[in-house]
Amino acid sequence: MVSNAQAAALPLRRARATGPVAFYRRNLPLCRGVASLVVGFLVWEWVARYLIKSTLIIVPPSHVVEAFVELLGKGELQTHVYVTGFEFVAGFGLAAVVGIVMGIAIGVSDAIRDVLDPWLSALYATPVVAFAPLFVVWMGIGPSSKIAVAFLLAVLPIIINTSAGIRTTEQNLVDVARSFAASRAQVFRKILIPYALPFIIAGLRLGVGRAIIGVVVAEFFGTRAGLGYLILVSSQLFDTSALFVAVVILAGAGILSVIGLQKLERWLAPWREYAVRT
Amino acid sequence: MGAAAKLRVEGIHKDFVSSVGEVTPVLREISFAAHPGEFLAIVGPSGCGKTTLLRILDGLLDADGGAILLDGHAVRDPGPDRGFVFQADSLLPWRNVADNIGFGLEIQRRDRTASRRTVEGLVRLVGLAGFERHYPHQLSGGMRQRVNLARALAINPEVLLMDEPFASLDAQTRELMQAELLRIWSEERKTVIFITHQIDEAVYLADRVLVFSGRPSVVKAAVPVDLPRPRPLAVKRQPALLERVDAIWRLIEEEVRSAMGVEGAGAGGPGGGGAG
Repeated sequence: MVSNAQAAALPLRRARATGPVAFYRRNLPLCRGVASLVVGFLVWEWVARYLIKSTLIIVPPSHVVEAFVELLGKGELQTHVYVTGFEFVAGFGLAAVVGIVMGIAIGVSDAIRDVLDPWLSALYATPVVAFAPLFVVWMGIGPSSKIAVAFLLAVLPIIINTSAGIRTTEQNLVDVARSFAASRAQVFRKILIPYALPFIIAGLRLGVGRAIIGVVVAEFFGTRAGLGYLILVSSQLFDTSALFVAVVILAGAGILSVIGLQKLERWLAPWREYAVRT
Repeated sequence: MGAAAKLRVEGIHKDFVSSVGEVTPVLREISFAAHPGEFLAIVGPSGCGKTTLLRILDGLLDADGGAILLDGHAVRDPGPDRGFVFQADSLLPWRNVADNIGFGLEIQRRDRTASRRTVEGLVRLVGLAGFERHYPHQLSGGMRQRVNLARALAINPEVLLMDEPFASLDAQTRELMQAELLRIWSEERKTVIFITHQIDEAVYLADRVLVFSGRPSVVKAAVPVDLPRPRPLAVKRQPALLERVDAIWRLIEEEVRSAMGVEGAGAGGPGGGGAG
């Protein structure tokens, strides 16, 4: 905002500067973030090469890149990414649909809330991930058990956020619609849903991380492929580089999903972006 | 009151019942009539049930007795024949100025092309040309209340119900908005019921000021304001206006003092609906 305002205020006095320094000034947050990452990786590389020399404990990023290229060359990595990716997308997608629908139902109906509330509270308080081995026993080592665990982990924050958004809708905004003789369906569509939208997206953002955890942990307890499998097998073979490859890919997937949801929020709820920035 | 009334309020009463079953009478036998095109202001001590009455007139709240007649027909539920101008912060934050103004038209499923023209006209009328695409949080308090007013006018109601619309504005903005309201009203000539706790605002704006007593409210007096129109803001400093303000203040003073006494003694009923 500040740089925009300055650019708008001074267009006549000074032509837009070019060169690396000007680029740095214009994109300060981005440049600082990138610089922080670069420094972090350099420190990691240095620590792993000269301070802790055991490749069992830690490997430098350069080795991780080598392992990445090697796994890619064998075609092994693609299979793992595909399996885990499918399980994540299915589990999270299901959680999003079911979570939003259930959250809305709980938000609009006191009866449904009263019936489901004890279960949701109990599930939210328990480490659901502890059920992962059970699901593998029940549903086998195929993708369905991973999808189930990811779903169960991700669905809770989505339900809770969605219902909170519906329930906290300001009464005076509902009154505005009612004063224009709005039907219940119109109040729902034009007031409750838009009001709850930022809450829903926040719930989805929480759900992404939990779905990834769910898939990977479920894979630990029995699977034939997937990034969780890669982590498990690499750790048993003391192949720390390959382990890190899997971890870095999972971290990247999480970051990308969160950025994607931020973009979705800006597109669906543009008024929020302004509200935050001004 | 010879001519047929636009809005007739007959014996409205309303009790609030607390969660433990205590009954507090808020409005007792409120009766009055507003003529077509009349600007009627209602003043009274805070907590006297002015807002409650206005919500009943709009149909947002049910009365416990009495009737509301609009052009001779009883009304009960909200309808497009009445437009409600809420207190501050009732704009939908996810809609820009134009879409907020058009909200009622959308709810009423009016023709889209005609609605767009209506909104364009209202944007100009309330002086917001160039701000159509702005979101509420990007507007000042005065601009928000312009949008609020335009939104109520958009459905072309018979009666405009205004609930302390300028209460949250700073003193200067408030003065300007009062003058703006008179300008807009002189173009539209709607029947207006305007609630306020500021007596000078009521006298400056209205053709007639109803004075409410403290809870449970009755109409204590109806004071005609025979000041010529148009009324530039300077009118507010003239003796003719100040005299009327003073006369109404003397009617209310006693009520305010006793209301404060009641609050001081800690015997307050439910604080809801009536206040604000």
